[in-house]
Order: sequence, then C-alpha cells, then structure tokens
Amino acid sequence: MSDVRTLRDADTVDLETAAAPSGGARDRRSAPAPVSEDSRLAIEIRTLVERGTMDEARERFGDLVALHQRRASRIAYQYLRDAADADEAVQDAFVKVFSHITSYRETWPFEVWFTRILTNGCLDRRKARARRDRWFVSNEISSADEARVSSAGGGHGDPERTLLARERRAKLAAAINRLDGRQRTVFTLCHYGDCTPREISAVTGLNESTVRVHLFRAARKLRGLLGGKP
Amino acid sequence: MILRGRHLQDDRLFECYLTERTGDPIDPPTAEHLADCESCGGRYTELVRFMDTVRAEGQAEADAVFTPERLRTQHQQIARRLEHVGRVARVISFPGQFVRGSITASATRTAPRWIAAAAAAGLFIGVALGASYEWNPLLRSARQSMARRIDTSRPARLTPVATRGSNQVDVAADDAFLSDLEVALERPHTRELLAFDAFTPHVREIRDRR
Repeated sequence: MSDVRTLRDADTVDLETAAAPSGGARDRRSAPAPVSEDSRLAIEIRTLVERGTMDEARERFGDLVALHQRRASRIAYQYLRDAADADEAVQDAFVKVFSHITSYRETWPFEVWFTRILTNGCLDRRKARARRDRWFVSNEISSADEARVSSAGGGHGDPERTLLARERRAKLAAAINRLDGRQRTVFTLCHYGDCTPREISAVTGLNESTVRVHLFRAARKLRGLLGGKP
Repeated sequence: MILRGRHLQDDRLFECYLTERTGDPIDPPTAEHLADCESCGGRYTELVRFMDTVRAEGQAEADAVFTPERLRTQHQQIARRLEHVGRVARVISFPGQFVRGSITASATRTAPRWIAAAAAAGLFIGVALGASYEWNPLLRSARQSMARRIDTSRPARLTPVATRGSNQVDVAADDAFLSDLEVALERPHTRELLAFDAFTPHVREIRDRR
C-alpha cells in the first residue's frame, strides 16, 4: 500500500524541477541534447493531436510504442507476474498516454511520465488482484507462460538446466515479492525498467538519496534471502 | 568516503555499482582503492555479479514471456484501440440483431393490441346502437303499421280483462298481424333480390298448401 501512496502522491510533486535535468537511460545520458528522442516524438504527437490530424498522430505514436514496449512489458511483468495482466497493463498505459498526450509537458522526460502511468496502472491491478484473491483462489502463472519461461531458461533442451533455471527464477521472484512495497518499486524500476535513481525519484516523488537507500536495502535483503546467489 | 577500517563499506560499494551502471565514472580515490585492495575489489566484483545476474534473470524471464510475436500482437492491439480515441462515440446496439428484433417485436405486439381494443369497442358500440335503434326501414314500417293496427283495430286490448277470451275477431287479427310481421321479416330486404325471392318457394307457403 505504501508504494501506491508514494506514486499517487508523486502526482503533486513539482516534476518540472525533479525531472528536468534527468539524463534518461544510459544511452541518453551521453547525448548532449536536453530533450530525448522519445520526448521529442511525444511533443510532435501532441502537436498533431492539437491540430486535429489524428491519423498522423496515431502513426507517429506507433514509433513511440515500439521504443518503450519491451521495457514497459518487463516492468509490468515484474510487478504483476502474469503475462495477460501485464499485457493489458501495458496496453492501457499506452492508450492512456495517447488519450492525455495534450497534457504532456516537454519539461518532463517522456520516459518518466510514461513509467509513472504504467506503474500506477500496475499497482492498481495488484491491489485489485489482492482484493480478488481474498475471495477466490489466487491466480497462479499460467501453464503456457510457465512453459515459455522454462524453455527460455537457458536449458536449451537440457531438462536439468531448464528445471534449475525455473527454480532459480521462482526463488528470485519470491524474494522480490518479499521486499517492502517501496523497495520493490524502486528495485523494479531500476533493474528492470532501466531507470536511473534520478528518474526513479521523478517517477515516485521520493528524494533521490532516499531512492539510493531503498535500492541498497533491497539489494542487501535480496542477497540475504537468496544466500548471495540468485 | 565511508570506510570500515581501511575497507569500503557495503553501501559505498553499492553506490559505486549504481554509478558505474549509469555510465558515470567512480570517484578516483574509491576507484583507486578498489583497484588496490583485493578484499574490496573481490566484494565489489561479487556484488556486481550478483546484481547483474538478478537483472539478467528477471529480464530474460520477461523476455521469454513477451516474445517478439507477442509484442507485435500487442502493438497491433494498441493501434486498434487507439483508432477509437478522439473519435465521436457512437452507440452500438448490443447484440444488434436482438435489440432490433425486440424493438420490432414490441412494435408489432403493440399495434394488434390497439387494433383489437378498437375493434372490440366498435363492436360494442355497434351492438348497443343496433339494439337501441331500428335501422331497417322495412322493419320500421312493419312496426309502425303494427302500431297503427293496434291503435285502430284493437283498442280493447288496452283493457285485457274485458276482452280476454270473449272476442275471437281480435285473436284472428292478432294472428294476421303476426303472420304479416313474419312475412316482412322473412322477405329479402335487398331490392335486387326481390325477384329471386319471388321465385323461391317458402316453407310457409308449402305448409299453407297442406
């Protein structure tokens, strides 16, 4: 619940000062341009929508989706641990972004804005699922997803390695799930969302030094839970 | 720099990891220490290996679920959903055929109900009027003539006590009147059918002949 509150409260934080100097992901950090490619694209789409050329805006938005789709899917999957749920969360986030593109401001990096929308959506879904699980049998990972995950576990046809990879991932997922809400959010955004501590600070509304502390504590706890080996 | 004795503490090592991950250089004194101190260097390497493995495992797991095909499908679904954004909403009857069918069915059900009600009312009014008013001129004339006869030939009928069983003429007149009435009623009322009626034998005539 605390992670939900953190992100919801972050809506009131002055993001212009919090996120404006952000360098974005590692590839953007070295770029001298103050506005990243995705942010430029978002501004262009916003202009097109304001002009009323929706078809062109949709076409350009496809490029934006392609840029962030994989990263968004990783974040959503780590939050929800269910492929169908994560898929829906990603779709909803993109649709929401397009619907509210006119409220996007270039002083915010698009990545931060989008990640916040996605994360809020994922947290809402987690909350809804927790409510649902109080009354119904909890929704385990589907067998098809499990098979896909197992087959991609580095086993390459070797059943023993496949099984080991599966166990390793299950342990890791369980350990991440045992993290405190804020720690989990910060850890997920940093390690699966490729966000820098500054970007996480902008997304969550937490102080950057607080983000670093949460990251350190999350890593320490994970090492303790996994015995130093994931 | 926070040192534990002469070694770097865990939080400092983690800071170094984060700094290096984001592409920034580690501050020179710490970098020097990591290079010189075997213990800190080993701990740092272990930390980096652990974090990279955690990261790689998580990403590989997600990528295994979200295959390129799945991402392509997701992209298409997003595009499909976006087609409806910014367009004027239209009401979709769901399910279309059922709604349309139910509308027509209710309309067709309502119409006969009104028609039936109107027909029933008309019939009732017609019957009531027919019962209260004599529409047929022949019947009307028959009744009038009957009334006249009663008035003229049978004034005594108004005093039944005096006439009952005593006047045979009156009884015969009554019979004649009633037979006339029957004739009038049995005669076809349509002018075109009168000729046919004349040629048609009647039960009454046959009975009279006998």
